[in-house]
Amino acid sequence: MANTDVIVTEKITKVYAGNGVPVEALRGVDLTIQQGEFTALVGPSGSGKTTLLNIISGLDAPTDGKVWLSGKLLSGMSGNELSDFRRDNIGFIFQAYNLIPVLTVEENVEYIMLLQRVSKAERHRRVAAMLEEVGLAGFADRNPPQLSGGQQQRVAIARAMVSEPAIILADEPTANLDSRTGADLLDMMSHLNVQTNMIFVFSTHDPMVMERATRLITLKDGQVESDETKG
Amino acid sequence: MMTLKIAFRNIFRQKRRTILTALAMIVGFTLSSIFIGWSDGAYSDIIAMFTQNRIGHIQVHRGDYLDKPSIYKTMDDYESIGETIGSVKGVEAWTPRVYSAGLGSVGEKSTAVQIIGIDVEREVQATRFDKKIIDGRKIAAQPAHEAVLGKGLARNLSAMVGDEIVIVSQGADGSIANDLYKIVGIAESGDDIADRMACYLHIADAQELLVLEGRSHEVVVIVSNINRVLKITEAIETSLNDSTLDVAPWQVVAKDFYRAMQADQQGDAIGRIIIMLIVAIGVLNTVLMSVLERTSEYGVLKAVGTKPGQIFWLVICEVLIIAVGSIVVGAVLGTAANHLLSIYGITMPQEFTYGGIKFQTMYAEVNARSLIIPAITVILSAGLVSIFPALKAARILPARAMRAH
Repeated sequence: MANTDVIVTEKITKVYAGNGVPVEALRGVDLTIQQGEFTALVGPSGSGKTTLLNIISGLDAPTDGKVWLSGKLLSGMSGNELSDFRRDNIGFIFQAYNLIPVLTVEENVEYIMLLQRVSKAERHRRVAAMLEEVGLAGFADRNPPQLSGGQQQRVAIARAMVSEPAIILADEPTANLDSRTGADLLDMMSHLNVQTNMIFVFSTHDPMVMERATRLITLKDGQVESDETKG
Repeated sequence: MMTLKIAFRNIFRQKRRTILTALAMIVGFTLSSIFIGWSDGAYSDIIAMFTQNRIGHIQVHRGDYLDKPSIYKTMDDYESIGETIGSVKGVEAWTPRVYSAGLGSVGEKSTAVQIIGIDVEREVQATRFDKKIIDGRKIAAQPAHEAVLGKGLARNLSAMVGDEIVIVSQGADGSIANDLYKIVGIAESGDDIADRMACYLHIADAQELLVLEGRSHEVVVIVSNINRVLKITEAIETSLNDSTLDVAPWQVVAKDFYRAMQADQQGDAIGRIIIMLIVAIGVLNTVLMSVLERTSEYGVLKAVGTKPGQIFWLVICEVLIIAVGSIVVGAVLGTAANHLLSIYGITMPQEFTYGGIKFQTMYAEVNARSLIIPAITVILSAGLVSIFPALKAARILPARAMRAH
């Protein structure tokens, strides 16, 4: 494992016991993703993109195989250790934004830093800078339901990136957005990727994401069908 | 802090459900509070009547007189014993009594009587003897061969104020004791059974009849605060420092009555438990619904690094915040209801007797118990029933929970 290998999976399989009939979602996936990659996991529905993303992030456990993130083996971690690891190393962007509706934009972005016990002054500084970065400087006191889909996804991006994790995992981040907003957000994420050198891994069907990705991993029937790095 | 903030704001997301949950807790608290206030008020009245009118709060006897009464088990120096008791802090009054059984005859009628020799002035001070007189007057302060009959005894003997009663008994020296007394009053103590036999004489007259000069069988003590009766009993024992004397609080003197009352109170506790069970089921239902609705949200919180324990406390906090608010509202309602019931009471259509004492109007009591017990019960029942939904939320698998969105 090279020093720059941030995500490493080894023979990952995942079997769901759906209605008594086992369904193989992943079948021996080996993958290595390095620092600064802007990667898209693509493939038809049911190919295992989201399952792989969930397993990489520790949100779900593989039936077999191993996952290392930043050199740490996820399968040996307890529930609390996994929570701490996700908090400190992974930022999530979801298709449905998944913001906490009772918290304001500022509080949503601040939340992970509160879990990390970052000082108040530092939290405020970073939140202000991040909201500025995603173009929501004047929206700090709004609640998520008062924002458009694109604005909510920007908040989700800010929340994912504010604690400066090594990896950003995005599950169909543009699926609920119009193409203009989606393109704007992708440009922003691409810019942040270059600026911060964070890993971005997308699960997507969106051609705009595929166009911007520096690496395209195609899954089919739970296996890596192709792995293409753009020049 | 953020957990509290989220919990507090979550409460206002589903106002109707929060109101329903709070209502279940408020109604449970208020009912429980009234239940306790009412029960305590009724028992306080019963105890006050039972003790103040009859047996006093503490009694002092020679040896085992309480269990095996005998004319010979007397206190020879009851005046000095009384003075010692009177000097104990918390003692309001004391009064000596002489007891014996005898036969009372008025005209052609005769019946068994209980001779009760009393120090009239002290008895008025201690047990408000004068308030029990329903016809005629109380016995004179100085011995004058006067008698006051209990209402039931007077009826049995067809005796009226102004008649004379002949009492026959046995003196402590073995002689036949008999004498004639003028009936100056009829008394009603509220205790029907006692009133059917009670024949009150001046203590000096009773001592003369029973050949018990200067001696008494009992010293009855009234304390200023009945809740301190056990401590004052100990203090009297210490002050008297006489192992031949038995100092007993009313709970020992009237142990059958006290046990019956405790059994009744345990019955009341079952009623309170049933109320709180109904509340708990209501709370469990709404909290479970709330957790189920927010499964996806808990999944997100876990995904971004919130620990299972923090999610657990988030759910518990929400319920406890509603519980605390409900307790405040319930306390206001319960106290107001108990206050009104303590002033106006509820008059029963018919008199009823408890421990031989008649009651018709029952009053509630405003006390700390009627707030503390329901508060603890609401907090505990709400907290306990929330544990299951909170664990459910804490154990949510983020990937599966977010798919439920």
